[in-house]
Amino acid sequence: MSIKIAFSSQRIRLIAGATIALFAIASFVVPSTAQAASVFKVSTSAAVTTWDPVQSFSTEAFYMTNIYEPLLWKNPDGVTPEYSPALATSWTSSADGKTWTFKLRAGATFHDGSPVNSAAVKASFDASKKIGGAGFIWDALKSVDASASDTVVLNLSYAAPMDLIASSTYGAYIVNPKTLVAVAADSKYYESGKDGGSGPYTIDSYKAGSSVVLTAYAKHWAAVKPAYSTIDISIVPDAITAQQMMTSGQVDWATNVPLTSMTSFRRNSKYTVVKYKSPFNYVGYFNTLRAPLNNPVVRQALSYALNYREITTVGGQGYATQARGPVPAGIYPYDPAIPQYSRQVEKAKRLLASAGVKDLKIKVTYASENSAEARFVPLMKDAFAAIGVDADIQGILFSQQWSAAKKDPANAQDLFIVKYWPTYSDAGVDNLWSLFHSSTKPFFNLSYWKNAAYDKLVDDAIELSGSDKAGAQKLYSQAMMMLYKEAPGIYLYDEAQVSVLPKKFSIPKYNINYPFSAFFAGVKLSS
Amino acid sequence: MKVVWNRLSSALLVLIAASFITFTLARVIPNDPSLAYIGPKATAADAAKLRITLGLDQPIPVQYIKYVWQTLHGNWGYSLSTKQPVLQEIIDRLPSTIELIFFAMSFAFIFGVALGVYAAKYRGRVQDSVIRILAIAGVSMPAFWLGLLLQLLFAGRLAWFPATGQFDIDLKYEHPISKVTGFPLFDSIITGNFTATLNGLHHMVLPALTLSAYSFGLLSRMARANLLEVMSSDYIKVARAYGLSERLIFFKLALKNALPPIVTVTGLSTAYLITGTFFVEQVYAWPGIGGFAVNSLLSIDYPAIMGITLLAAVGYLVINFIVDLIQAKIDPRMWLR
Repeated sequence: MSIKIAFSSQRIRLIAGATIALFAIASFVVPSTAQAASVFKVSTSAAVTTWDPVQSFSTEAFYMTNIYEPLLWKNPDGVTPEYSPALATSWTSSADGKTWTFKLRAGATFHDGSPVNSAAVKASFDASKKIGGAGFIWDALKSVDASASDTVVLNLSYAAPMDLIASSTYGAYIVNPKTLVAVAADSKYYESGKDGGSGPYTIDSYKAGSSVVLTAYAKHWAAVKPAYSTIDISIVPDAITAQQMMTSGQVDWATNVPLTSMTSFRRNSKYTVVKYKSPFNYVGYFNTLRAPLNNPVVRQALSYALNYREITTVGGQGYATQARGPVPAGIYPYDPAIPQYSRQVEKAKRLLASAGVKDLKIKVTYASENSAEARFVPLMKDAFAAIGVDADIQGILFSQQWSAAKKDPANAQDLFIVKYWPTYSDAGVDNLWSLFHSSTKPFFNLSYWKNAAYDKLVDDAIELSGSDKAGAQKLYSQAMMMLYKEAPGIYLYDEAQVSVLPKKFSIPKYNINYPFSAFFAGVKLSS
Repeated sequence: MKVVWNRLSSALLVLIAASFITFTLARVIPNDPSLAYIGPKATAADAAKLRITLGLDQPIPVQYIKYVWQTLHGNWGYSLSTKQPVLQEIIDRLPSTIELIFFAMSFAFIFGVALGVYAAKYRGRVQDSVIRILAIAGVSMPAFWLGLLLQLLFAGRLAWFPATGQFDIDLKYEHPISKVTGFPLFDSIITGNFTATLNGLHHMVLPALTLSAYSFGLLSRMARANLLEVMSSDYIKVARAYGLSERLIFFKLALKNALPPIVTVTGLSTAYLITGTFFVEQVYAWPGIGGFAVNSLLSIDYPAIMGITLLAAVGYLVINFIVDLIQAKIDPRMWLR
């Protein structure tokens, strides 16, 4: 039975046609808002864990390096001089490397107008050492002499490279003492987006998890003022969405675009794709507490099982190179002479047989939120299967992965995949020490490996690096050789930093020493 | 009145059950919330200190009772990832989500019912088949996939609509919206900022279309099936035999009786859209509850997850209650059931 109703087909066609027409016209008649000339619009995935520069130890470094300044900035690899002056204009060290003197910049002020002086430097370092997430970088610092307002003298308990440490991404910012006092009284002081910095930008507004607006600090000491007085940053975790925002013109620059889109960007005349070395390194920890992984031969066998070329290609999408241990290329004390494992299936089988291992089953965990790990870890399962090892792979949130690994090491995972990077540009103090030095309670040494000879090499190298960098390098290289032979970890790849830069703008080069950061004061329109 | 009390008391039970289950689940998952709060490189000592500060060292029942007590007093806790009060986060973001749901549901209802009626009229013909395909596609396509597809086509290729956001970023510098009610699009209208209104509507099209797809499909199928059923019933035949006009039969007799199930589905769909926005907002970087919910889930930000669960549960219950009231108005026999 048909329904004869008031909707005549002609009328319905009319309505449908009008709707489609409206839909199409809407896209043309609605004007785009005129671009504000002094606003540079950015999208990034960088979340803000904290606005406290003393506690900061995560991706908020993206913003911090524009708001706060250390004494020195470390220049990218290969650039001379090695450091650029920030709040210190000159610095010297004693012959024994235990006393460092920094002359402070005249006329530098915090965002409230108060001067940057030695008292501020001392208060900042004391706070960082006492409560900072990266406070360990000041381990060698015994005392700070701030008797002259324009000079700080750092007295160390052992020789340490204070120029390098003072230029750290984390724990080395100079903070307004008034802010430090305010934070001591109110732990939530920073959370609405206040700052106590002296950098070229100050926080104008912050909408948690959504946007950050920075405005230029008019009294900043730099002779050249930023070309953009406002930096409007949208926090967009999804890389595809970020890409859409940039290509549709909603933002001027997206810092996080998917690696899979690089080919299309290379073909697009509006963009340049650039590749840099980065401090990011993928490593797996074997659980050395459990049999048969407590046997180095078994660990070597598993290391020989992997197809590193495939893992590098799939994980890094062509923007990665096989690692030589846990120290990424381009970061001290990387050593190109350290050998690498390669896929040798028969050798791997022989090693397993010589260790008397049959029907081995292992549990592999990785961080599910890391898309690179999600891509390459299944390849590891296939590679292990080829030598008769059954790998149960589990993708869980990093916080869960880490928590489980620390809770009960003897019954935890067999292989823990992690992406790691050093706190500052010294992977000896960080990667080599944090990842594989013995510890009573596991923190980042999740292979639970204990080796007194390795510990001594790394400890001695750390103490030597402030006065004899070459000597320290030798010790570090010996330690890395030990890591290769003993294989407490499986060394996967060094990830490259790939950036898509709109040709319309001149954007400062990526600096490996500040891997999460973008320096907006140097952004300008291309000539 | 008794029916109302019954509904309210069962709603309260649902709320208690939902909150307790979510609360317990969030705590038994092997995870260290302190990491979300102070970052992945936090020291063991910092993490232990924070666990005491957050009360995570206490037994779960004690934590739950404290949570309920504080929630009733307006303290929904602090988000571990944004460090802001959860209630404030929700209040700040909810208006944008409600505006999105309003447009999505309006679109789904108007076009879903209209096309359902149209399909019923042309049952078995090409028009019916086309509408059926559209409806099935709407119901079966995952929102995040449809969102990406529309974004790629209409924002990326054709550049007809903006890819993301609720307004152009430049708008806040050139034509800032004065906050009156907190609903940005509505505020732009009542303050006469029509540049912002047009810009907001332009931004609304793709996310609203994406979000409406499921409800559109459901409503069009429901409208078609119901109308066909009602139009074949005896009282319609009698009305025809009496010579009543088709317009009168359709609007006064058929549509009214076909409406109650459509209203129910509309209500349920609206409630479904509360969680449906999660993916859509993520794809379109919409500044509402959805993006906040997804980020909270990914970081196991349990105070935020609890807040969002409570909000969703309350939303479902309120909408269902309203649907009951509307149905009772349309068909008073409902009170007797």
